[in-house]
Amino acid sequence: MKKTTAVIIGGGATGVGILRDLSMRGVAAVLLEQRDLAYGASSRFHGLLHSGGRYAVKDAEAARECAEENAVLRKIGRHCVESTTGYFVRLPEDDPAYEAKWVVACQAAGIPVEPVDLARAHRLEPHFSERAAAVYEVPDAAIDGFRLCRQNVLSAKRYGGKMMNYTEVTSIEQQNGQVTAVKTRNTLTGELGSIECDIVVNAAGSWVGQVAGLAGIKINVIPDRGTLIAFNHRFTDRIMNRLRPPANADIFVPHGSVTLLGTTSSPTERPDDFTPTTEEVLALIDEGKELFDELPRYRLLRAYTGTRPLYCADPTAATREISRNFVILDHAKEGLDGLISIVGGKLTTYRLMAEKISDAICGKLSVQAPCRTAEEALVDDIAPELMQQAKKFFPTAGVELAASRLGPDLAETVQRIQANPAKKELVCECELVTLAEVETVAHDDTTFTMSDIRRRTRMGMGTCQGTYCGLRGLGMMVDNDLARGMTTENLLREFLETRWNGIRPILWGQQMREVELTRGIYGAGLNMDGAVPDETE
Amino acid sequence: MRQNDVIVIGGGLAGLFAAITAAKRGRQVMLVTKGVGAIAIGGGSIDVLGYDATGKPVRDPSAALGGLAADHPFAILGQQRVETAVQTFLGLCEAEGYPYQGDLQHNQWIPTALGRLKPTCLTPLTMNSAILKAATDVTVVEFEGLKDYSGRVMVDGLRQCPGYAKNYSLVSLKTDINDGRDLTALDVARWLDSDSGQAAFIERLTAAVRPGSVILLPPVLGTKPDYRLFHALEQATGCKLVETVGLPPAVTGYRLRRLLVNCLGKLNVKMIEQANVVRGIVENGRCTGIVTGNLDRERTYRAESFILASGGFFGGGLQAEAGRAREVVFDLPITVPANSADWSKEKLFFAGSQPFAKFGLQVDGKLRPVDASGKLLLENVYVAGKSLAGYDYCVEKSGNGVALATAYQAGAEA
Repeated sequence: MKKTTAVIIGGGATGVGILRDLSMRGVAAVLLEQRDLAYGASSRFHGLLHSGGRYAVKDAEAARECAEENAVLRKIGRHCVESTTGYFVRLPEDDPAYEAKWVVACQAAGIPVEPVDLARAHRLEPHFSERAAAVYEVPDAAIDGFRLCRQNVLSAKRYGGKMMNYTEVTSIEQQNGQVTAVKTRNTLTGELGSIECDIVVNAAGSWVGQVAGLAGIKINVIPDRGTLIAFNHRFTDRIMNRLRPPANADIFVPHGSVTLLGTTSSPTERPDDFTPTTEEVLALIDEGKELFDELPRYRLLRAYTGTRPLYCADPTAATREISRNFVILDHAKEGLDGLISIVGGKLTTYRLMAEKISDAICGKLSVQAPCRTAEEALVDDIAPELMQQAKKFFPTAGVELAASRLGPDLAETVQRIQANPAKKELVCECELVTLAEVETVAHDDTTFTMSDIRRRTRMGMGTCQGTYCGLRGLGMMVDNDLARGMTTENLLREFLETRWNGIRPILWGQQMREVELTRGIYGAGLNMDGAVPDETE
Repeated sequence: MRQNDVIVIGGGLAGLFAAITAAKRGRQVMLVTKGVGAIAIGGGSIDVLGYDATGKPVRDPSAALGGLAADHPFAILGQQRVETAVQTFLGLCEAEGYPYQGDLQHNQWIPTALGRLKPTCLTPLTMNSAILKAATDVTVVEFEGLKDYSGRVMVDGLRQCPGYAKNYSLVSLKTDINDGRDLTALDVARWLDSDSGQAAFIERLTAAVRPGSVILLPPVLGTKPDYRLFHALEQATGCKLVETVGLPPAVTGYRLRRLLVNCLGKLNVKMIEQANVVRGIVENGRCTGIVTGNLDRERTYRAESFILASGGFFGGGLQAEAGRAREVVFDLPITVPANSADWSKEKLFFAGSQPFAKFGLQVDGKLRPVDASGKLLLENVYVAGKSLAGYDYCVEKSGNGVALATAYQAGAEA
């Protein structure tokens, strides 16, 4: 039986933040994730690093925390954050009184807010509505949730932290009111295991209630569905927010070559209620077109849905009214020492949340080491010599992208290309991902599926949505004997069907063409899913 | 000014074959096309009917045509017309010096780059799967840098097919292409169009294989519809060769396209490429002309009758928006389910046919568009290929077969 001090359940931003924090303080820790890193809300959101502006009026404390953490993450998570800045735009139909209140609230929360001349704003952002009545600039930024989680784990590993993905906890063992171990099951292979521990940290996000339930403890968490759309173009260079009380479809976030629009809000029963609907998409476009008049004509890429874990002492409250702040629950109060849950919160403040709960854990363990997560960068910057070397092999536009994606793995990727120049070929032309990069990532012992590779490299996230890179990625895995625990058929199916989940609700226009191309190749051409003949035929 | 009897809209397999069929009847034909259609995606093998409605493999497509739903294009045509179209196509290929093999009474099982077998009806001689079936030793050829093709995937897949547990070996060959770009099968095929490429390849392949083996390779044996390289390789290696189905660009499709375009030239069919047909001119239920609109200006072309072979959603003949679909040239309505969730199934693959794949124009027995009540909409417009409703070619494996059969019918009527 394996042994550690703390088991952290949940591979979202909060969980990986805790793993990093505890590891840096010298506490032995293992993180268990039922699927892959950022499987839940840490990737299924708009990728906005809040300036705090959105919360300024309603929740001053949350706004201040956002403002502070925003500055910290720009520093420690340079490769996960794109410092775009953001605009808050008031349209004529939005209440001017709210604008005045908002400016004061931002200043009170320490959020730098600057009015922007309308002509200048339109010159810099030519696509947003000419009807705008007022524009302010705040330090919003875009953040990549996949990369943030991965780089937290990479950082934690340097301090001895461990991460096991595709591992779910099936029970929390206890003796005399004290946590003693967790039992686990591999969700790909079914293999069972257990880990002895003194502390279990429940950072399972929308699943936090289920995990607490394993120990017979009830936590009132309402999973709240939020659907978003990815557009195929970067039609804004800044985050665009509606200057009005937070509502649906009022945030646009540019990410690389795409733009995200979100979100909706509706309560759900299931934490993994991840299937977007056409109705949600049409509602988003309908509302979003107030800020971008041409929105209905923009090419869609996909839709996706996440669930926010909203914690509520009062189960009757409307979901937008529930605070986005977080709460730490020490279940010693309910008679189980060693189990601590963290609920609520938001990605922007994940590091702070991790710090607070790590403080509590260190208190229990009498560990004196202070938190250092705000000072040290998640990953080291790439050495200039290595960047120079990489520029010889990568497509010009791809070097910086690959360096940001790969971080410490860039060196290995460059070595692969040096050893065999054919490896500089692009597996994914849409996102400029080389064969060498895909191979490097696929060799990592926490990579199992082609979607894992997608999350780490962006392979399959572009316009063709996996159509061309599907077969190529499969070939790479088979050629390198990396199809661990999955048949080639299932590898490809899993990859293509997760893409379909996001296209199905937007099945029209160019997306319809794209799907017909995918089916034309894998169905009509390669016959992925047709029956094979009996030997007698 | 040239007087056209027939204008064909669309330059995919359906448009090309329809134009040839009409021109052979002595009609003056013009063909306008925006691109090359799905022939560059699917390739040159002619699927007619690989699976029945229950997903069961079809042995004899001719016999299985009778079991199709009434709105299926094959059911509208009837077995005899499909047979005639197939015979005509085979005769044409023979006459052009690039014979196809197969007949409507049998399906062949051709290997694909996924290591799967796919049922198809007619193939060029380079895709003769009977050779693979009978083989003991199989050499799978990869090309260095051809990222779209993994010999291992191919072999792993084939080994799982009943009757295909053979001695497989893998060979990786170099090309002499070094312009720094990523390779596709089309690049390799173009290299093999050249004398120097052929000579180098023959030498490398001969050195790498044992005589008597069957050589499986991606579709790279030149871009021209002739078998000279194929036969030269068989002679030099003492082996039989089989080309497989891979990712686009589909070289076998280009060869077939080239054959048909050559044929159009001989028949004095005028072909206008890069032409985007923006609308049809309709007077009293008849089309009198079509209008093309490119960057410069609009042009009107007139004819007695029209063949609409503009494709489905992929080809651009049909367009969908949320809750609605339409045919693009004549703005004909397409019947679709009211609820968007009923357009498709929860899974894209392994789920049988997709409702959206069957969206298209409903037609009368002469392939002219009719409305939902069966009323004729355009009396001199004939529809061929993927604009037609009622079939999911990806699941049933019927794409090129429907294109050929409906094109033959439309070409005979127009």
